Amino acid sequence: MRRVSLLRLIVVFAWTGLSSLGGGRSAYFHEALVRRRGLISHDEFVQDFTLSQVLPGPNFSNLAVVLGHRLAGFAGGFWGLVAVVLPGAVILLVAGALYAEGALGATAALLMRGSSAGVVGLVAITSLRIMRGSLRGLPAAVVALLTFVAVGPLRLPTVAVVLAMIAVSVALQWGMGAPSAVAPAAPGPAVPGEEA
Amino acid sequence: MGSLALLTWTFLWLSFLCVGGGLGVIPEMERQAVTVHHWLSAREFVDGYTLAQLTPGPNMLIAVFVGDRAHGLLGALLAGLAMFVPTSVLAIVVSHHWKQWRVRPWAMIAERALVPVGVGLMAGGVYTLGRTAIHDAATAALAAATALAVATDRVPPVLAVLGAGVIGWLLWR
Repeated sequence: MRRVSLLRLIVVFAWTGLSSLGGGRSAYFHEALVRRRGLISHDEFVQDFTLSQVLPGPNFSNLAVVLGHRLAGFAGGFWGLVAVVLPGAVILLVAGALYAEGALGATAALLMRGSSAGVVGLVAITSLRIMRGSLRGLPAAVVALLTFVAVGPLRLPTVAVVLAMIAVSVALQWGMGAPSAVAPAAPGPAVPGEEA
Repeated sequence: MGSLALLTWTFLWLSFLCVGGGLGVIPEMERQAVTVHHWLSAREFVDGYTLAQLTPGPNMLIAVFVGDRAHGLLGALLAGLAMFVPTSVLAIVVSHHWKQWRVRPWAMIAERALVPVGVGLMAGGVYTLGRTAIHDAATAALAAATALAVATDRVPPVLAVLGAGVIGWLLWR
């Protein structure tokens, strides 16, 4: 049943969590579990990744839970979560305490000001990349745009927006017919003649 | 005690709003933490997100940062548990059954319907962070430069963000 021991799972997941800095953190799991160690196949990873995106909750911890479950059952899911969240939480608390005390001085405040502007650039580019691959068709683009305007510039409560937009989105997808009747769109530019 | 319960409850329902990535919940989390409950300032919130980005682990550890600012270590613990545990329980239960569910039509429609909402929320998260972090030409230029650097795939994201910090420090000191 278990593909790896719990101890190995904890070590690998904790190390993956600790080395995942910056944007696109899920990619670190692909590198660690698929490419480097071959514990999970690419297809299995894509399936788990999609599930972790669709489920509510922080997607990085969702991915750790789903991958941990695949590798070692319920205990694997639990320890995968702990291994990925706990070390980072402790580090952030220490960094947060230093920040709150102003222990790093005026230099740190200025560094933070530039870094937070940089973070906006980082999340903008990583979000753009995800959008390009995941928005298929005009209805999806309209739903995404309306959702953005409502929670961004208009600052409407997200719960109301999400409930309303999910209803609209389901209605639109339903209206487009059963999923099996819709040809799956290839992500990125279609290559003519490919896999005829 | 009532305020601790309020903090826990707020992060509990916020965790279920993370659709398609943690960034999507940032607009509502900022509204709750800054505007509604005054747990911290808008500046502290953006700095907390930046710290969460610069340190290892999920970005949603911002919950731990906010909890700590609001109620110290106990607040951090409760906010963190509320953010990660209930959604993880849901994830493990669904993943246990997903092999049978994913081919059903309702599951495929749910997947297709949720993705664009998640994308819109994510863009909202970028906007909310930008509203506080970008306030003049220099900060806008730093954001654009970081985006370009990351887009080349040659610069690790953490270095790009820290680079923006160092350039800002050189500009403003």
